[in-house]
Amino acid sequence: MRIGHFHLLLLGCLIFSSCSKPPPVAREDHPLPDGIDTARVEPGRRGGVFIQSVPGEPSTFNPLVSEDATSGGFIGLFLDSLTRYNAVTQEVEPGLAIRWDIGKDNKTFTFHLRPGIRWSDGAPFSADDVLFTFQAIYDPRYPNRSAFDLSVEGKPFRVEKVDFLTVRITTPEIFAPFLEYVGGVGILPKHRLEPAFRDGTLQKAWNVSVAQHEPETLVGTGAFRLRSYQPAERIVFEANPHYWRADSAGVRLPYVDFLVTKLVKDINASTLAFATGQTDAEGLSPDNVAWIERFAKRYDFLVHNRGPSPNTGFIWLNQNPGQDASGKPFVQPHKLAWFTDRRFRQAISHGIDREGIVKGVLFGRGQPLWGPETPANKKWYNPNVTQYPYNPARARALLAEAGFRLGEDGKLRDAKGNLVEFTLNSNQENQLRVNMATVFKENMRDLGITVNLAFLDFGTFVGKIQDSFDYEAGLLGLTGGGDPAGGMSVFSSKGRLHQWYPNQKTPATPWEARIDELMSLQLRTLDYATRRKYFDEVQKIMSDETPFIYLVTANAYVGLKDRWKNMKIPPLGSLVWNLDELWTVFTP
Amino acid sequence: MTAFILRRLGTLVPMLLAVTLLVFALMSLAPGDFLTPVKAQRDINPALIVELQKSFGLDRPWYEQYLRWLGNILRLDFGYSWTYKVPVAELIAQRAPATILLSLCSLVLAWTLAIPLAVLAAARPGGWIDKITAGAAYFALAIPEFFLALLAVWFAAQTGWFPIGGLTSLDHDFLPFGSQLLDIAWHLVLPTLVLGLGGVAGTLRVLRANVLDVLRAEYVTAARAKGLPEKVVLFRHVLRNALNPLLSTVGYAFAGLLSGSLLVENVMNYPGLGRLVYEAFIREDQFVVLGSVMVGCTLLVIGNLISDLALAWSDPRVRYGR
Repeated sequence: MRIGHFHLLLLGCLIFSSCSKPPPVAREDHPLPDGIDTARVEPGRRGGVFIQSVPGEPSTFNPLVSEDATSGGFIGLFLDSLTRYNAVTQEVEPGLAIRWDIGKDNKTFTFHLRPGIRWSDGAPFSADDVLFTFQAIYDPRYPNRSAFDLSVEGKPFRVEKVDFLTVRITTPEIFAPFLEYVGGVGILPKHRLEPAFRDGTLQKAWNVSVAQHEPETLVGTGAFRLRSYQPAERIVFEANPHYWRADSAGVRLPYVDFLVTKLVKDINASTLAFATGQTDAEGLSPDNVAWIERFAKRYDFLVHNRGPSPNTGFIWLNQNPGQDASGKPFVQPHKLAWFTDRRFRQAISHGIDREGIVKGVLFGRGQPLWGPETPANKKWYNPNVTQYPYNPARARALLAEAGFRLGEDGKLRDAKGNLVEFTLNSNQENQLRVNMATVFKENMRDLGITVNLAFLDFGTFVGKIQDSFDYEAGLLGLTGGGDPAGGMSVFSSKGRLHQWYPNQKTPATPWEARIDELMSLQLRTLDYATRRKYFDEVQKIMSDETPFIYLVTANAYVGLKDRWKNMKIPPLGSLVWNLDELWTVFTP
Repeated sequence: MTAFILRRLGTLVPMLLAVTLLVFALMSLAPGDFLTPVKAQRDINPALIVELQKSFGLDRPWYEQYLRWLGNILRLDFGYSWTYKVPVAELIAQRAPATILLSLCSLVLAWTLAIPLAVLAAARPGGWIDKITAGAAYFALAIPEFFLALLAVWFAAQTGWFPIGGLTSLDHDFLPFGSQLLDIAWHLVLPTLVLGLGGVAGTLRVLRANVLDVLRAEYVTAARAKGLPEKVVLFRHVLRNALNPLLSTVGYAFAGLLSGSLLVENVMNYPGLGRLVYEAFIREDQFVVLGSVMVGCTLLVIGNLISDLALAWSDPRVRYGR
């Protein structure tokens, strides 16, 4: 039968195609530049493909458009910056600039670029590219995130070219996170993007369509360059033959030939891809660790505990004294009186069994949290904040002191006889939060407080927090970590995410005024010790006053195939910090 | 005839207006907007949010946004995706080929399986072929598509015989051209089965009834009396006449080319239009949603038109115009 033969042939080809290997790769060889950076790692061997999967889809490859972490991650692979932020040590290291001088006024930074570096298409890299990048960022035609991060009170930095390889940047005021922020600005190739910049189409440059059809036009200085992009399927990066780092044996990095990212629908699909041995690295949530570890032997991987994650979880009570357009107060006045009473908030904090939440909700993979930073943020975490261990007796004492009375029926009433009852909102999509809210409700019942739970769609909830303010209490999380400057919108009383009472014209309480003062003080010095002192006090005040009643922080986990060497896992941020230094003895 | 076609196409305009208005109103009623996730990030400057709201027109009332969008449509500007910063038409064109490929495959599967089976089933009503196909068809019609898709994913994961989702393997780029085609074919097997099975069942049942009808006609008796072999009677005389009513379903199939596989694509991780549209809905990326709704509606009207025309062409008793 002819058809039968054809089927056999087809089957044979399928088996062949499913296990065929990429052919050996001939890599372009270019002489190393004078300004080469020598990696301080054990020299490895070239070759291999690193495979990862990412839930979702990059929305763009243009840093002037990107707002989401997924796109930002891919952009970071092919665009490097003047400095680079070492996520393991949390220090700023040289990037495209080999060194920099800081002027006496602490506002002038002179960057000396690495000589001889080339873009991934072979064109020389120079100070003009840096100038062009900042020009594009500050251009009002292209509103973007960096323009706001890289200015002080609305005033942009002054960027000047000193010579072919020297750039001077002056900040209008002393700006503490300057070097770290500059490390987040991917330098753009002027020779490629200038035409688009001139005719006003820069935001349309390097979009997903361009990446699909002309990947070679996405030129960068990073370890990798784009080879192909198939929407909703995969992104393939290849080693950049002009990369500016090499190992001590003079072999240009990165060692891996290809970096393949599988684009999957959601986080579950991504986790599953790792658990079935398809990918090399994956961030894992605490509730998945146990079952995934069962596959570790079969697929030769190991689950590493990164320690506490930078994610905070907290409950807050709405302290907004305002009223809506019809004159109805956002929070009923007698409830507002409870919520603004520090003793009430502290009593609630003492009434929460955080150890129980860690055990019951996180399967023991987490720890109680007392302040705005988690231990993951080694550089800024203050361990000496006020703690509120589980102590219902202490909670009842605080409530009694604040005038609350426990009735015969086991229900708590305030001095005027109002039943203490409020509704806690959270978003329904996050199961861990839903579980935490349930534990909280039980804990509060022991104090005689009735908590009603209402789980909302994320969009509705954010609308309540930021626009309509008509709610009583909320449970949410924020990702912390990084420089204190990133927390401005949370801590500052003018802030948008100062959730218990956002957008204040003048600080409502003396302690909020003090936080405002400390937050602006820490921005205006480059001295780490001084900044640290200010930010420690901010964390202490936050824990004393407990506008946010912090709950727990989950541990972060990362699964990694055993075959990779030189792997450095940072406590926060990307899974693998040094993709360019990874190497393997096995080819896939 | 031309007048008939024009009149039919003319109904598109009020229909598109009504549908897009409805979609626009519903989307603005839904909580949150495209910028909600941005608002919840702690290190985004409020001034940027205001700036973005202005550039998207989200600071205006919804009817004003709608009228503006309508104005652009008249100039054949379908807007651009807020997420991807790519014109909507381009984005749809980017994702459509994969979806059309899948739909066509499942359509071919449905027809090639359903037609011979239906004829054989009708040839001996109550026979074993009839019983088995009827049972299988009811089964296939009863299982929802998304559940079948889940089963298929589970099957692929358990056996490892087929890839779990996607259209190409990770090493697709490194394969020679022939293997690339086979790679795609291998990935298409399960989604095609999942999407096509319902079609097989539906077509089979309709066609079986038609064949039974035709079998009673006098010309069939005449053909048999002539001593023609049963095979020739069934496939040359009966089937041709029985296919007529099925032509009208071609139009619906056409309408479903782009939108029919939304659920399957999302469950099976298939890189087509369905995933794009679903994500656009979730993110409230307005213009992408509106663009895809318009494409769907237009295809439906055109599909119906095609099946009406096909009917007129194949059946001399049907005439349009005046």
